[in-house]
Amino acid sequence: MRLGFLLKLSILILLRSWRATAVLSFMVISAVTALVFLSSLAVGTNDAMIRNSTGLFSGQITGSVDRASETLRLAIPGVERVLVRRHQQMLVWQDEAVEPILLMGVDPVAEKENTALWKKTVSGRYLLPGEEAIYLSEATAQRLNLSVGGKVQLGARPGTALKTLTVVGIYKTGITQLDQGMAFCPREAFPLADGSIAVAVFVQAGTSPDDIVAQYRHLVSAGTFTAWTEFMPDLQQLIDLDSICMAIVMVLVFAIVSVGISCAFLIFTLKNLREHGIMKAMGLMSGDTALLLVLQIGLLTLCAALLGTVTGVAAVTLCAHIGIDISAFTSHNQYFAVSGVLYPRLTATALFTPPLLALVFGLAAAVWPTLYIIRKNPADILRSV
Amino acid sequence: MIEIQNVSKQYTSGRGHIAALTEISFTVEAGEGVILAGKSGSGKTTLLNCIGTLESPDSGIILCNGRDICALSPRQRALFRRKEVGFVFQASNLLPWLTVAENLQFPLELNGIYGTAQRQRIEELLATFGLSGFEKALPGELSGGESQRIAFARAIAHAPALLLADEPTASLDSTTGRQLIELMFSLCRSRQTTLFIATHDQELLEMTEKILYLKDGRMENRRCP
Repeated sequence: MRLGFLLKLSILILLRSWRATAVLSFMVISAVTALVFLSSLAVGTNDAMIRNSTGLFSGQITGSVDRASETLRLAIPGVERVLVRRHQQMLVWQDEAVEPILLMGVDPVAEKENTALWKKTVSGRYLLPGEEAIYLSEATAQRLNLSVGGKVQLGARPGTALKTLTVVGIYKTGITQLDQGMAFCPREAFPLADGSIAVAVFVQAGTSPDDIVAQYRHLVSAGTFTAWTEFMPDLQQLIDLDSICMAIVMVLVFAIVSVGISCAFLIFTLKNLREHGIMKAMGLMSGDTALLLVLQIGLLTLCAALLGTVTGVAAVTLCAHIGIDISAFTSHNQYFAVSGVLYPRLTATALFTPPLLALVFGLAAAVWPTLYIIRKNPADILRSV
Repeated sequence: MIEIQNVSKQYTSGRGHIAALTEISFTVEAGEGVILAGKSGSGKTTLLNCIGTLESPDSGIILCNGRDICALSPRQRALFRRKEVGFVFQASNLLPWLTVAENLQFPLELNGIYGTAQRQRIEELLATFGLSGFEKALPGELSGGESQRIAFARAIAHAPALLLADEPTASLDSTTGRQLIELMFSLCRSRQTTLFIATHDQELLEMTEKILYLKDGRMENRRCP
């Protein structure tokens, strides 16, 4: 029999048994919608963790270069912003209290535009350009017995101060690397003229920091660069774990849905058992019967999966616009140090995996009803119904 | 020509072995119309199923134009039914998801009749059965008589050599039933189609050339009008 007629027959069976088709489709549509949304939410959660972790100070890539002129070569396609900082390990003291710190000389305007450290100010304010000021962590301020307005001295060893700076702000991030042993001052107030040059690179959305690092290593020989995936292996593992969990959820959901579809489709097929008997009596071959049933469930799953994808994309688009605030559950989580708002993001995997899985499991669900019908003798069918 | 030689068939169920057909033998010439008469459970449907290759006899031979159809493989049987046989069942005969025209299209598609030839054949059948204008109607929108006429039209759409009708008038009133059977005999006679009608309707027995009586799976006698 012509494939075109079998296809037409399948479509007519689905359309003219629209109630059963609607019920079966609903299962697939809801599963695909939920999984497109969940996958996008998982991507959004990963994005939020990366954004929070790298946006606070480090950028997606940190590095150091030997000459300031080298930093100009770092603005390559895919890079959104390069922040240049001077840094030097030194001592900071106040009266008898002494603390070793890594002092960072920064451009306060650029830092405020591109990083979120200033949002973690617990006392005072963030730095202003050109002022002789220092911005300390709460832990360092407590150990030096300092508060906003206090003065500290900086130098290679106590008693030989290179500079005296006024504390204008105190911050607390909850992240050990930033809260212990770091302090910031405007670039102009940096005590040394020849401190090492550090860079924080922010890449555009969708650009792989590892790719940018590979290009930098080729472009800038006298420098070292590290992507966040290397300097935050714990976050990378968390994201990998998230992806594995999502894959398991998808397979489990569709395995369950396919059993449901298979049962429902068998009932749907049994409802039409007499008609299948009549078609077999008229000379429809087993292969054609199998193809007819596979086409039916394939078409149903395909259309429902496409519809589910559309509704899933609509839900993601809506939530990506307004965001999902989970701050109440992330206040003590270092990976959400800046913001607890998630923005679901569609990726090719999030978009295509659920409908593809639905189709594969849907076709698998056709096996049972198909075998049931093709094994039945038409006389037995007509006698029993 | 259909030759049936010593055909027997048993069913096994919870009640043990039931002899549906026992040593049935007869011959029917091509284009002849035969009524298989008998009460419910007498073996009429089983005999029709065996002739139509829907099931196989346990013993005996059925020859269709000299070819032993009991020896065919399942695929060959399906092809035999597709090309050589037309079926009219008791009720719920039409495919409910297809319109009248699509129901008539089905056997034509199975037999590789496409395009203009297909359209012409459908129009011709609808005109012959007085159902022009019903092309787009769904089976659920037809009366019992109309449904059975379409079922009959579908059964002969591909010009089979053999037409098997199992209680075709069971769901019809006597006048409509009689009209349908008359139409069957007249069309089969003009097209040289061998016709078998299984029925327990006594009124129909006067309409045919040949009646085969079945009782408890055995042929009682043969009466020629």
